[in-house]
Amino acid sequence: MRIQFLTKRDGILLLFIFFIAIQSANAQKHKQKKADEETAVWRYEIKPVGIGTEGSYEVKVWSYSKSVKVAAEQSKKNAVHGIIFKGFSSSGRIPGQQALARDPELYQKNAAFFDDFFKQGGDYLKFVMLADNGNIGPGDRIYLGRREFKIGVVVVVKVDALRKYLESKGIIKSLSSGF
Amino acid sequence: MRKILFLSAILLFSIGQAFSQAKKPTLMVVPSDAWCNENGYMLEFKDQGTTVKVPDYKKAFQEDPDLILVISKINEMMAARGFPLKNMESVLKTLQQNSAEDVMMTSKTTGANIMENPIDKLKKVAKADIILQLTWKVNQIGPKKSVTFILQGLDSYTGKQIAAASGTGNPSFTAELPVLLEEAVVSQMDNFSYTLQNYFDDLFANGREVTLRIKVWNDWGKDLETEFGNDHQPLSDIIEDWLSDNTVKGRFSTTDATENMMLFEQVRIPLYYERNGRERAMDTRRFTRGLSNYLRDTLNIPNKLTTKGLGEASIILGGK
Repeated sequence: MRIQFLTKRDGILLLFIFFIAIQSANAQKHKQKKADEETAVWRYEIKPVGIGTEGSYEVKVWSYSKSVKVAAEQSKKNAVHGIIFKGFSSSGRIPGQQALARDPELYQKNAAFFDDFFKQGGDYLKFVMLADNGNIGPGDRIYLGRREFKIGVVVVVKVDALRKYLESKGIIKSLSSGF
Repeated sequence: MRKILFLSAILLFSIGQAFSQAKKPTLMVVPSDAWCNENGYMLEFKDQGTTVKVPDYKKAFQEDPDLILVISKINEMMAARGFPLKNMESVLKTLQQNSAEDVMMTSKTTGANIMENPIDKLKKVAKADIILQLTWKVNQIGPKKSVTFILQGLDSYTGKQIAAASGTGNPSFTAELPVLLEEAVVSQMDNFSYTLQNYFDDLFANGREVTLRIKVWNDWGKDLETEFGNDHQPLSDIIEDWLSDNTVKGRFSTTDATENMMLFEQVRIPLYYERNGRERAMDTRRFTRGLSNYLRDTLNIPNKLTTKGLGEASIILGGK
């Protein structure tokens, strides 16, 4: 049996495909890194859209990214980040809520914990889910120019579970601590 | 050996921690007078020609399932935060039952009854350190209904509002009242807890705020202007000096002072005191006992100490 080696042309094609795949993965990583940076500088918006079931908030999060997919996925992280550090104001008759963090320096004081918590696939995912299968409404995809999108996604954050988790890790105090 | 030492250290630390816990305030939801009046749960009686209205809580609990639903929901959410509430309905029933039992109780040997003075009778009311005063109102415009919900946390002894949450929910054509009420509680409780936490934070930073009264028995023969001690200071000044030395950061306000009475408000007492090398939870009685003992031992003034719950104490000078 004769072993058929690749021709020179096939080799170049294969190398090209390999190069494109690496570039694409790098670009995706870069977009994700950029989205994480936007989260870290609080560049997202969060507002309530409904009163969720007991122990949860239903919020719409507007995230910024060059990739619609990354923005949609980042919305989960932004929602949890927002509920821990930012809170949100009232929308119509839906009351606003205060942030779980009472100390503005909470992230800096627990940087190692939060870096791990918010890493890709981190524990934050346990407390958030996309509402309506993550579908983005027609008015919730805004092109801002310079290949940047602003994407609005409705998510549900299990705030009671999140609060208890942070309390159990000693990151925030429980209402009854000290008594 | 090292293991035993290590375990002993952990045990001692745990005991120390257990003793250094501050006394947990009790919370109870009470429907507001406005709500009781609006819903017809009031008792009317004549007091020297004036009609006085007081809330009829018993009737409200017996006849209003919505009230029970709201209280139960608040209780459920507060319990999840480590603060189970006293149930007012149960407290009222227990008080009634205890009263009946006290009346029936007689000593086997002498046939004596339970001793109770008028003050003891007055104190037999449902109470808690923090009252969660509840009000709601159903608004109706045409077929649309909405609920305005107000929850106020009131410190029973200072009378201050220490926590609050309020708002009007979205109007609905179809939702039943219990659903709207449940939604109102769910949407407001986090904000209520947040403001309550602010109060607790202040408590731990600046001490518990209590009220202290000094009174004088009319047969004592001396008063608060009488001079005591080697430097002939008026008694009122001596008491103020003691408070300044023993309150957290020397914080208290002398609201009123005459020769016969003194009223101190915003008296910040520490949450702990040390006894036998251990920290223990401080309460108003324990704190005021310090002043009472000081007056008795240093100035030879006999006195009587009475307290009202966790937050109010009185010392009556001149006897027991």
